[in-house]
Amino acid sequence: MQDLLYFSQQLINGLTIGSAYALIAIGYTMVYGIIGMINFAHGEIYMIGAYTALIAITGLTALGIAWLPLVLVVALVCAILVSSSMGWAVERVAYRPVRGRHRLIPLISAIGMSIFLQNYMHLAQGSRNVGFPILIEGGFNFGSDGAFQMSLSYMQITIFVTTLICMTVLSTFISRSRTGRACRAVSQDLGMANLLGIDTNRIISATFIIGAALAAVAGLLLGMYYGSVDPLFGFIAGLKAFTAAVLGGIGSIPGAMLGGLILGIAESMTSGYLSGEYKDVISFSLLILILLFKPTGLLGKPEVEKI
Amino acid sequence: MQNNVKKLVTAIAASVALLGAGAAVAEIKVGIAGPMTGPVAQYGDMQFSGARMAIERINAAGGVMGENLVAVEYDDVCDPKQAVTVANALVNDGVKYVVGHLCSSSTQPASDIYEDEGILMITPASTSPGITARGYELVFRTIGLDSMQGPVAGGYLASLNPKKVAVIHDKQQYGEGIATAVRDTLKDAGVEIAMFEGITAGGKDFSSLVTKLKQAQVDYVYYGGYHPELGLILRQARQADLDAVFMGPEGVGNKDINTIAGEAAEGLLVTLPPAFDEKEENKDLVAAFADKDQDPSGPFVLTSYAAVQLVAEGIEKAGSKDPFEVAAALRANSFETPIGTVQYDKAGDMKSFEFIVYEWHSDGSKTPVSN
Amino acid sequence: MATSNVRHALFCAIVTIVISYPILGLNLEAEGINIVLTGTDATTIVAIACAALIVFLFQLFRDSVMGKLGAVSDLNPLTGRKPMEQDKRAKLESWVLTGLVVVALFWPFFSSRGAVDLATLVLIYVILALGLNVVVGLAGLLDLGYVAFYAVGAYTFALLSQYYGISFWMALPLGALLAGLFGLLLGFPVLRLRGDYLAIVTLGFGEIIRILLNNWTNVTGGPNGIGGIPDPTLFGMEFGRRVKEEGNTSFHETFGIAYSGEHKVIFLYLIALVLAIITALIIRRLMKMPVGRAWEALREDEIAARSLGLSRTAVKLSAFTIGAFFAGFAGTIFASKQGFISPESFVFLESAIILAIVVLGGMGSQIGVILAAIAVTILPELAREFSEYRMLIFGAAMVLMMIWRPQGLVPMRRLHITLKTQE
Repeated sequence: MQDLLYFSQQLINGLTIGSAYALIAIGYTMVYGIIGMINFAHGEIYMIGAYTALIAITGLTALGIAWLPLVLVVALVCAILVSSSMGWAVERVAYRPVRGRHRLIPLISAIGMSIFLQNYMHLAQGSRNVGFPILIEGGFNFGSDGAFQMSLSYMQITIFVTTLICMTVLSTFISRSRTGRACRAVSQDLGMANLLGIDTNRIISATFIIGAALAAVAGLLLGMYYGSVDPLFGFIAGLKAFTAAVLGGIGSIPGAMLGGLILGIAESMTSGYLSGEYKDVISFSLLILILLFKPTGLLGKPEVEKI
Repeated sequence: MQNNVKKLVTAIAASVALLGAGAAVAEIKVGIAGPMTGPVAQYGDMQFSGARMAIERINAAGGVMGENLVAVEYDDVCDPKQAVTVANALVNDGVKYVVGHLCSSSTQPASDIYEDEGILMITPASTSPGITARGYELVFRTIGLDSMQGPVAGGYLASLNPKKVAVIHDKQQYGEGIATAVRDTLKDAGVEIAMFEGITAGGKDFSSLVTKLKQAQVDYVYYGGYHPELGLILRQARQADLDAVFMGPEGVGNKDINTIAGEAAEGLLVTLPPAFDEKEENKDLVAAFADKDQDPSGPFVLTSYAAVQLVAEGIEKAGSKDPFEVAAALRANSFETPIGTVQYDKAGDMKSFEFIVYEWHSDGSKTPVSN
Repeated sequence: MATSNVRHALFCAIVTIVISYPILGLNLEAEGINIVLTGTDATTIVAIACAALIVFLFQLFRDSVMGKLGAVSDLNPLTGRKPMEQDKRAKLESWVLTGLVVVALFWPFFSSRGAVDLATLVLIYVILALGLNVVVGLAGLLDLGYVAFYAVGAYTFALLSQYYGISFWMALPLGALLAGLFGLLLGFPVLRLRGDYLAIVTLGFGEIIRILLNNWTNVTGGPNGIGGIPDPTLFGMEFGRRVKEEGNTSFHETFGIAYSGEHKVIFLYLIALVLAIITALIIRRLMKMPVGRAWEALREDEIAARSLGLSRTAVKLSAFTIGAFFAGFAGTIFASKQGFISPESFVFLESAIILAIVVLGGMGSQIGVILAAIAVTILPELAREFSEYRMLIFGAAMVLMMIWRPQGLVPMRRLHITLKTQE
């Protein structure tokens, strides 16, 4: 019983982190699906979302507004607004001019952008870790007193529910709306979509904006869940999310969700049953193994090499 | 901006000093090497403000053997590579006494060069035992060692008769060093160590670790490392209803931990050097810092002050500016400094450096724990 | 046309404000135990407003501005200039290079210790960048974990000297070979991956190596690193004040000159210089050999190259291994220069800096890479006030280079052979 509770607790921990990874992974997977590049700066967009949310929350507190739903909604809107604008601007400035050139060129441009954004935040807000106020506290406890108690906090529930809502909305959007259909068309064949009268530039911009908005949601949620932000924490989270995207099959949205959850669980089980020191080693090794043996990921379509 | 102005002023001061070198008043250069930029620049600020203040006050009191001290400042960004560059630049500039560096991993490679080139170094902040363990003649420090702080913390924990203790560290030189010392002390005292494990420095998600601590049913957790990670651990532990008392070294004992952990910081135990700035005999000095709108309570401000003072008094005692004779004088005598009476052993460590256990509160204040 | 232009320009200006004001204009600061929001000074606000205005005007007159810019480059006298004849250029180049080497050989004797030490660091970066240039510039494989091989070289020397007392000269080839071996072992499975996947896998590998070095405390000392790494000796002569190893003599006693710490620094510099020259020459030679041509062929068009009978794996593997080999070289020198190494020196940022050097210098171009290594290492030293902005500028420079000049500051020019027409 004890062990089962312990296992379930680690499972919950993993699922929480995993669903947030999935939100970030969407941004990688959609961009890759459409223009075939790794948006290295996506982790930084997530970090910027978290910072903006914190700035909004602190600002509201200073104004004396403390009604929780309002605070959360305003923080969410601010984070999405700033992150999406940043995502749009990054695509415009750093990726559009180099689109269609040799594969390495957009990638190096993206790495440059990632370094730039990290240091932009570092210079603007300093390098210190800034704490998030605790907004959602408490939760359910399972198990008898005196022994190991499994806890499921309201914060964790919030993360699950929000992720679920975001994913449902996104899938409906992609499958039903006009823009969503255009997105799918562009990811199938960019040139052909262009010929058929789809404004591909607009669709690519839309992809970046959607990805950035979801990253901002993840930024707010994880910022509150972890408790602090610093300018460097986007980079490693970005790498993890990218791993999740690859794991699930890059280009596939359900794949990103699945990959995120698997990665989250793998990480929490590693720290739970082995040692936290090797958490990152495990996720990187997982990435390398997947890329070596099943580069298309779990739910990805095999990519045909075009000659 | 202000920083730049400061740098400009010191640069001008330094060049004026160089121009005046040929003039009647000879000058003694004291190098101050530490991080002015980079992620740990806030600790570097403590070091520089302490050392500058000491130089100013010593000069105002007539200098050393009739000569003025001049600060020559260097930025090593706490990067071992840049520290070596800085050390060579110091040799170049003919500096014979250095107050620095801050990070142990910078101090260690730099001290090789200083020892080779006959430069006296006093580090106000590096706590790694390895630095003074190499039989060097010219390497000193004005701060305690990880191996001194660990036993204090471990001893205190053992005296509380804990059932099970977990020892966690951040896999950095400082954190792991102290954590190892704590573990060894606890083991010798016969306390059961439930786990000894590292985390990733800079990590954010400690929910698995907290769950593990809960499962192990520990009643005390020692954390070796700095405040950003411990702040998060405390916060996440509180969210998960982990009922254990945490303890950490001086690296966690600053107000930033309250901004992260909030209420969860209440009851945290911290080993700190005694609050030098609250001592009666340092009243003047604290007032002088207040005049300049600087805060003397940081852990490295007064140790840096003391380091400069030791250089000055060492020269006086030796009656010579030769670093080897000054080193001998430092070992032979005892000195009254703002951080207490300093006496050196052969290795260059202080014979006694006191650590006190404090209880930390959620409003950022601390109270000493009677033992 | 005009209205849509104005709307677009307005939109861009608003976006500029949205992405800069909340971050630059509102600062989170700790006040006691609370985080408070403080507005920034007027200068920043004015700067943000100016930036928005500039973006607005630029977008509004984008077409005419771009047209003007295009016209300006026509005026550039260099564009119309015919490239120098090849044999003439080669001759000039070899004279310039010889001159540079001679200056580099004698310069340290007249210079200060700090400058020589900095120059040694520059040379280490030159070796690293030349090595990475083979992988990224010539073979077109983006390696983001290059620092791992650098670490292997440095740790090989440190560990061998600590446990077996092996000297610098023994460790130099060993470190390089072991790094090369690591390159071979890693390269073997991963090189069939496509370019961008390869980048991520190498990044992961670099991090794994660093984490393992950090966690394997029993052997590598973990975060404490390894100290007391010996300096190189010259035929058994040591450069320290006192002789550390039995059987060795000291340099200053042998030659009957006064001890000076500068000897050691200059000696290290000369070693680094010679190794950098050797590296440059070997790679130069390789570039002209079939294998070098094969690297470039594979970079330009993998399918065409394979259909011409080139083995993809063998060609890529050779580039990867050679690149790793030189990183090991550089690592050994670095360990000996520092005397102390810890995993801190081998973080991803270091990989990024080396990559930035290669990109700025011009992928594939040796002279460009050497100049970029000098610029990237020395400029922050000269302008300490700007060192905070160093990485910001690096990032921006990488993006801008990719947009405007992906071939780099000094683009690579391939030597070609002209057949003499028979009369």
